Amino acid sequence: MGYLSEALGTAGRLIFTLDPEILEIVGRSLRISLTATSLASLVGIPLGFLIGSKDFQGKAIVIIIVHTLMALPTVVVGLLGYALLSRQAPLGFLELLFTPRAMVMGEFILSLPIITALTISAVQGVDRRAILTAQTLGAGKIRVAWTALMEARYSLLAAVIAGFGRAASEVGSAMMLGGNIRFYTRTMTTAIALETSKGEFGFALALGLFLLLVVFSVNILLHLFQMRVRVR
Amino acid sequence: MMRSRTYPQFELQDIIQRFGKRKALQIPHLVLEGGEIYGFVGPNGSGKTTLLYIMNLLLRPTYGEVFFEGKPIYGDTGWRTSAQRKMTMVLQNPYLFNTTVEKNIEYPLKLRGLPKRERLGIVGDILDEVGLAGFEKRGARYLSGGETQLVALARALALSPRVLFLDEPTANVDAKRIHQLENIIAKVNRERSTTVVLTTHNLAQAYRIADRVFSLFEGRLVSPAMHNLFKGAIRTSPEATYFDTGKIRIQIPSEYKDSESGHASVNPDEIILSRKPFVSSARNTFAGVIIQISSGEGKVHLEINSGELFRVEITNQSFREMGLNLGSRVYLTFKATSVHIL
Repeated sequence: MGYLSEALGTAGRLIFTLDPEILEIVGRSLRISLTATSLASLVGIPLGFLIGSKDFQGKAIVIIIVHTLMALPTVVVGLLGYALLSRQAPLGFLELLFTPRAMVMGEFILSLPIITALTISAVQGVDRRAILTAQTLGAGKIRVAWTALMEARYSLLAAVIAGFGRAASEVGSAMMLGGNIRFYTRTMTTAIALETSKGEFGFALALGLFLLLVVFSVNILLHLFQMRVRVR
Repeated sequence: MMRSRTYPQFELQDIIQRFGKRKALQIPHLVLEGGEIYGFVGPNGSGKTTLLYIMNLLLRPTYGEVFFEGKPIYGDTGWRTSAQRKMTMVLQNPYLFNTTVEKNIEYPLKLRGLPKRERLGIVGDILDEVGLAGFEKRGARYLSGGETQLVALARALALSPRVLFLDEPTANVDAKRIHQLENIIAKVNRERSTTVVLTTHNLAQAYRIADRVFSLFEGRLVSPAMHNLFKGAIRTSPEATYFDTGKIRIQIPSEYKDSESGHASVNPDEIILSRKPFVSSARNTFAGVIIQISSGEGKVHLEINSGELFRVEITNQSFREMGLNLGSRVYLTFKATSVHIL
């Protein structure tokens, strides 16, 4: 038990002294996962809206595939990314492997199915009368779609939060595509994995607590934002 | 009231609406004039809502054409869009967006690009008009059924539509609010000349509010359940008691002199039709012109304009013997006791 209390002590000290390396890692983690989540939302919400609101052949299959991709193992994404981006690979010329951009790509692929799938169910849950009402009041097609999305805003917010959770907490693809390079691609999760394997529980625990704190703060921010979003 | 209009506001021509194999609606011809209140009565599934959707241009009929102010809707996309902007509908179960009352009423005004100040002014006025002043910041989801209906009506009225469609406007409203809603509908029609087209399964309500009542049954327009129904008021003079429709005065039995009813009907079977004034003890005689002739169930149905529109039924034989035609001038005679005060 001694090492645990020692680790807690170290964690507390690192947090309260705002250790520069920890702050740097937290900042990078946030940048990467927020970028990935934003991109995944920009693609996933319209995609989910289209799948959810249109009737087309093979719709059920598409939805099953999206649901399956929600469970995509992070190391598989890392592996595929590695296979595509390494020097001899088809996309090797882009020289993206072991860069933050590659990590953004990995996290984008991981959170996209979550945001898309949750948007599909959010859109399917919108009362049909909302769409009819917008039409009777003179809204065009785009305005009707926007109104439907606004009516589903609480569920859409949950979709974005879930997507962010996935991006911020995954370690497999960040490790394989980023390489855990100090001061360049090291994030909270890859650092926790490394420090734990080195036996530096205090540092790892401090990062773990920061990770929780960060996710908590982002959720609060998103909720505050959502309170301001109104039907337009 | 006669209005000088070149074209009727709505004209439906050979409308057929199918849902799968089921023929939900079949209307060979229907004309609605601007500025009137029309009531469509019928049981559930009779096609009332489908008809409203077709007229509100939310549903393109399987066959047939809809004319708005004389121009066909389906053939010109631009006209369809601008026609659609002149009308709106309040759904049977109105849906309010999940935000404040104010934002709900603002919504259609925002779509039309009105500046914020103007929008808020309209919201305030319209809430006043429906008796919900001060409701601006209330959450739309926390309103009672009656308040929801009123806000939905206010949101529709904010647009100042030329045509207002109301699908079962009082179906989910308590008795106290029904009267209020009916008054608002009548006021809007009177003060803004808005054409109101409403559906109801309540015949008495239809006759109470509407200038003209149509019955729908299994997707077809059928004869109204009551013919020769007039709106008006009972008046008395030293000699007699009258039912005054504003256009004609119909003598009624004096026992009704204290009644406050605003509706009277005359049984078509009890009206005597003649080419020359008919001398009898019957108290009511009106001259009129035949404007429509149709036949069915072994009888000939005539629509006669004598200030008010009367429907009279005669046998095929009498019809032939009298040599009647469209435009023929005739006399209608009936007893005071043939008038039913409702």
